[in-house]
Amino acid sequence: MTGSLLTPSLVGLCRSLTEILLGIVKALFDALSLPGVGSWFVSPGVVVFFTYLIACLVMVIWAMLINLLTMLWVERKLYSRIQDRYGIMLSFPWPWSKRYKRGITNMGWGFLQNVADGVKLLQKENMTPATADKLLFHAAPALLVSSTVMVFAVFPFSENFYYAKVSLGVLFILAALSIGPFSIILAGYSANNKYTLIGGLRAAAMMLSYEIPMILCVIAVVVLNGTLDPFEMVAIQERPLMGTILPSWNVFSPPQMLGFVIFFIAIVAELERIPFDIPEADAELVEGWTTEYSGMRFGFLYGFKWLRQFAASGLLVVLFLGGWNGPIIATPELLGYPIPILPQEFWLLIKIYVVAMIITWISWSIPRVRADQVLKIGWSRLIPLALLTILGAAVFKTMGWF
Amino acid sequence: MAEFWVNMGPQHPMTHGLWNLRIKVDGETIVDAEPILGYLHRGVEKISEVREFQKVIVLTDRLCYVSSITWSHAYCLAVEELMGIEIPERAKYLRVISLEIQRIASHLMWLAAYGADIGLLTMLLYALRERELFLDLIEIMAGLRLNSNYMRVGGVRNDVPADFEKSCQKVITHFRKKLDDYQDMMENSKTFLMRTQDVGKLSKEDAINWGVTGPNLRGSGSNVDLRRTIPYEVYDQISWEPAVEKECDCYARSIVRMREMRESCNIVLDALKKMPPGMCRMKPPRRAEGEAFRVTEDSRGEALFYVAGDGDDRPYRVKIRSPIFCTLGAVPQMMRGHKVADVVTIMGSIDICVGEIDK
Amino acid sequence: MVLTIDWELVLFLVFSVVEVACAILTVTSKRLVRAAFWLFLTLVTISGIYILLRAEFVALIQILVYAGAVPVLLLFGIMLTRRKMLEEGETPEAK
Repeated sequence: MTGSLLTPSLVGLCRSLTEILLGIVKALFDALSLPGVGSWFVSPGVVVFFTYLIACLVMVIWAMLINLLTMLWVERKLYSRIQDRYGIMLSFPWPWSKRYKRGITNMGWGFLQNVADGVKLLQKENMTPATADKLLFHAAPALLVSSTVMVFAVFPFSENFYYAKVSLGVLFILAALSIGPFSIILAGYSANNKYTLIGGLRAAAMMLSYEIPMILCVIAVVVLNGTLDPFEMVAIQERPLMGTILPSWNVFSPPQMLGFVIFFIAIVAELERIPFDIPEADAELVEGWTTEYSGMRFGFLYGFKWLRQFAASGLLVVLFLGGWNGPIIATPELLGYPIPILPQEFWLLIKIYVVAMIITWISWSIPRVRADQVLKIGWSRLIPLALLTILGAAVFKTMGWF
Repeated sequence: MAEFWVNMGPQHPMTHGLWNLRIKVDGETIVDAEPILGYLHRGVEKISEVREFQKVIVLTDRLCYVSSITWSHAYCLAVEELMGIEIPERAKYLRVISLEIQRIASHLMWLAAYGADIGLLTMLLYALRERELFLDLIEIMAGLRLNSNYMRVGGVRNDVPADFEKSCQKVITHFRKKLDDYQDMMENSKTFLMRTQDVGKLSKEDAINWGVTGPNLRGSGSNVDLRRTIPYEVYDQISWEPAVEKECDCYARSIVRMREMRESCNIVLDALKKMPPGMCRMKPPRRAEGEAFRVTEDSRGEALFYVAGDGDDRPYRVKIRSPIFCTLGAVPQMMRGHKVADVVTIMGSIDICVGEIDK
Repeated sequence: MVLTIDWELVLFLVFSVVEVACAILTVTSKRLVRAAFWLFLTLVTISGIYILLRAEFVALIQILVYAGAVPVLLLFGIMLTRRKMLEEGETPEAK
């Protein structure tokens, strides 16, 4: 339970990798009898630059390529099974299997379907409406995508798998997720279409009004734990819970149980999932604020909803569910060496995917709530409860319980 | 914010069929509405003047493609009254069975579309899954699933196989359990109640004044079901009850249709038990003279057919009255004062099939 | 040439130039929604300068409160008060 897969940190591993690579480059230049250039390549500044560049690439590939595809696959398979059908089944059979010889590609796991969809979107025409505001039309997807990927700069996947150890990590993630509403309004307005404008305004209104309970719940957790650092927060949640072998996850304390539920609902609204789907797949608005986008721009706007789901679920897990801790505080030992039951990254990913599956489950079982009812729920029900949570957390902290 | 007209349709994922609804919005509130029809007009009434009586069945099947047997049945009843013939008992029972199975299939299609409109996308797939079972039953009876061409002037096209009663029993037992599930899903879902209660109110007097019939009228508290008030075929020999609800909103109309599905199951099983042996069809005369009209309870309301013959083997004039055509007149009144997102709820609860509106 | 560049100074210059340019564009832009966009960029680059001054907390609050909410407020104000813009995209009424 205490081990993580990357034993020195991600940055440390990348540093070793860059030193090897730049050593090869230096040897190449030495062979070409340009020793000055070669030694520049291994100077500290260049090594540091390339270290962080490679670490950034690894993090982006991990977050976008691997986790986004997996999240999409989990969602599509899960809701297909809820609807009593098989779901996506495109796959590539192993070259030694009988299916490969028969060329069957549609009876398998289905993981490749999302890759296929991405490639299809890449080769479509990127149309811009003639009367659209070109600067804003092109800038809006860029803003949304970049603000979502920024979350993974500070999000720790385990004790050692992180890109940057920022002591204000939780605040950074909240700030990155708060750029969403602005880019949505820009996207809705710039397409010069009445429907997308209405959709964009509604989406931004909903997301702004649900950011407030979200941030209030985070405040409650921060009051209880006293830190904004995700590493310290997970370390605090690793202590035993009042003498039992359960770890003291934040969700086990009474005010935080309410906060957990409120944060969960606020996340579902932030991500525009189906109970709060009014801006998007409203039957009136076709695709809502993304209607006029085509090609990979639409792919970004649509697919990054699931990356935001991953980021928001990750925030929920780090704040309330103990991050990368396993559920039991017990480390089995073999010959004096602690053996982790599962590495820390796996615990975090399992928890994130369970939360994402619950969001999907709720999404595909409940009708859509109307726009004015959504705002009524957000302002008149969630905010007072979130304030109550803060009060409860403050009381618990001063009395020293939990 | 200004008041401006918004076009919903003709190309729109919400509209069940090809028509245009213009609504005048003031911010989020609807001030006025205007339906524009005619995109699906195929000239059924005119074409039937050049086809023989039996051959018009092909056209009347496709009037409302979701509930086709009921429309052909209305036409056959009118022509049989015109010709003055009496069809065998077994044919009447077979007609009733096929009508009720078609009614269940039509209401399931409504349920699927309504779920998808409200946002409960899983209901779309569940309801269509159950509809497949009933389409299989229609296929056993008639050979086709959708526009089944089963009715004939003088009876039905063919008799059912011997194990048809067992198939029906199996399907209906399975379906009753699922129907309980779906009714539960609708009644216990707070979001569904929030969306549909107190939305789209149509009081009893307004409904009668506008000429609304069928489940929409019964959802407003008026106990008028043509199978009870003007019984045709053998509806007076089978025990069943019409479904009536008091509140006049979308929720009441939904519950009426769910209950009607249950009653249709009872009618099918009862009719299968009471069916006498005999011929399933008789040969009608070729020519007819005079005029006749018959009114029947279609899945969506009162369907009226007026057929006039002038001694030829083709009708001289066929006039069709569609229930939803009259209901659309009441739609602007139902929508005033509600929000734009309620348009979908209200239009879904009326159960529009544009084929019968535009003919 | 030894590359001992003072990266802090370079970053500060880049941020400042971008910020002043965006601020000037905000004030002189003829289209209001573009002005909101340039305002957003101005606020984001200001938060970058805060980070260079070792005030990370203020920088993040700047993004959370200013860049995340104030341009949105401005856009809402524009959308809800201008009739003309909504009628620009109106389809001709079917006669």
